[in-house]
Amino acid sequence: MRASSLLSESLAVLGKELTSELRSRVALNAVGLFALTTLIAVAYQIGPYKIEEADRPHLLSALLWIILFFGATSGLARVFVKEEDARTAKTLRLAARPLAVFFGKLGFNLILLLGLESLVVPLYCALMSYTVESVAGLALVMACGAVAMAASSTMVAAIIARASGSGTLFAILTVPLALPLLVVLIQGTKAAATSAALAAVFPALRAIVSLAGVTLVAAVYLFPVVWHD
Amino acid sequence: MTERKRSPWWPWVLFAWMALVIWAAFFYAPAAKGFKGESARIVFFHVPQAWVAVLAFCVNLIASLRYLRRRDLVDDARAAAAARLGLVFSVLATVTGSLFAKVMWGSFWNWDPREVSIAILLLVYAAYFALRESIPDDERRASLSSSYAVLAFVTMPFLVFVVPRIYWSLHPDTLINARGSIDMESRMFQVLMGALAGFTGLFSWLYTLDVRLARVGLKRRQSEES
Repeated sequence: MRASSLLSESLAVLGKELTSELRSRVALNAVGLFALTTLIAVAYQIGPYKIEEADRPHLLSALLWIILFFGATSGLARVFVKEEDARTAKTLRLAARPLAVFFGKLGFNLILLLGLESLVVPLYCALMSYTVESVAGLALVMACGAVAMAASSTMVAAIIARASGSGTLFAILTVPLALPLLVVLIQGTKAAATSAALAAVFPALRAIVSLAGVTLVAAVYLFPVVWHD
Repeated sequence: MTERKRSPWWPWVLFAWMALVIWAAFFYAPAAKGFKGESARIVFFHVPQAWVAVLAFCVNLIASLRYLRRRDLVDDARAAAAARLGLVFSVLATVTGSLFAKVMWGSFWNWDPREVSIAILLLVYAAYFALRESIPDDERRASLSSSYAVLAFVTMPFLVFVVPRIYWSLHPDTLINARGSIDMESRMFQVLMGALAGFTGLFSWLYTLDVRLARVGLKRRQSEES
């Protein structure tokens, strides 16, 4: 009963987020255009032939995650910042329990990140001639990476929304938390690009899932404090 | 009439101990084999500084968790004091590590996993203070920075302890290596243990001073408000 009402409340918050985003499209435009601009700049300056064949799997994986990460940081903070800007946070506090708000916002950021990955990854592969041996492996790394990144960035978004100077603070607070994750995501993407065996991505995947797990557990404990203070 | 408190004796003992550690690091411990010249003597300063940086991070976490449970601003002052000292000792560990890297490997920075982990620890401390600076209200500052400290702490063990063991590293074996043994000449080991104790004592003293100052500031503000 309790779990199902938490789920329905979370889905209601997610529905509200999607409706308001489809109305304004601010986060969609910010994330999409930022990622596309970075992708074009990288593809134009580096292109498919300027990197040595031996260095391609590692460097192209690193560049892909840099594009995705910087595209994501431009829009992920909005879920909470917009509530404070529009002065709707108090109403939301009354309407839903803290965990439902967290999971609803997390769901929205996850959808945003998965959308960003589905837009950028095929374009990146085409523009940079990036061949991936294990598409299933890459999909797993991308999906788990999106969950881990959404968990930490949603929590940081909640923190910075309650502080002043939100926009710049988000990048400052997210980068140190995201760096360990980016290291393993790059390793996982490189493994998927070089090996057709799905098992090649498992070591990186274990680390990504562990990071996502501990971040989610910490967020569940901390979010009510941040949201109500 | 207020009675003036006598200053404690133990900072003088600490001063003498640190002087002894510095003397022993240069004149008692022998030069390590397999390192260029006398470069390995930096271990007596670099390792304790890195240890204190991590210890400060743990103290910051404990004080942050205590603040979240008890809502006492003194706990927040404890967390901030530990982070301030952690930042200073991280910078010192980075500088001494870079000097060693220049002598041994030819460049100040090599993107070794351990160098990356200390760089990220520095970034976490810097982000923690950037967050604190941006919040004028005491209680909100305390609760948000405590939450960020806990969130950062859950990713740090992964970075400090797991990543350097997964990737190939230029860094010499840690004090207790992967084989679970201590490979160090006994006099060097004695000096290193002495340095660890000395630096931990130095951290405790500076931390106590910082927390006392913060307590006085809090009391003064409370009396002004009432």
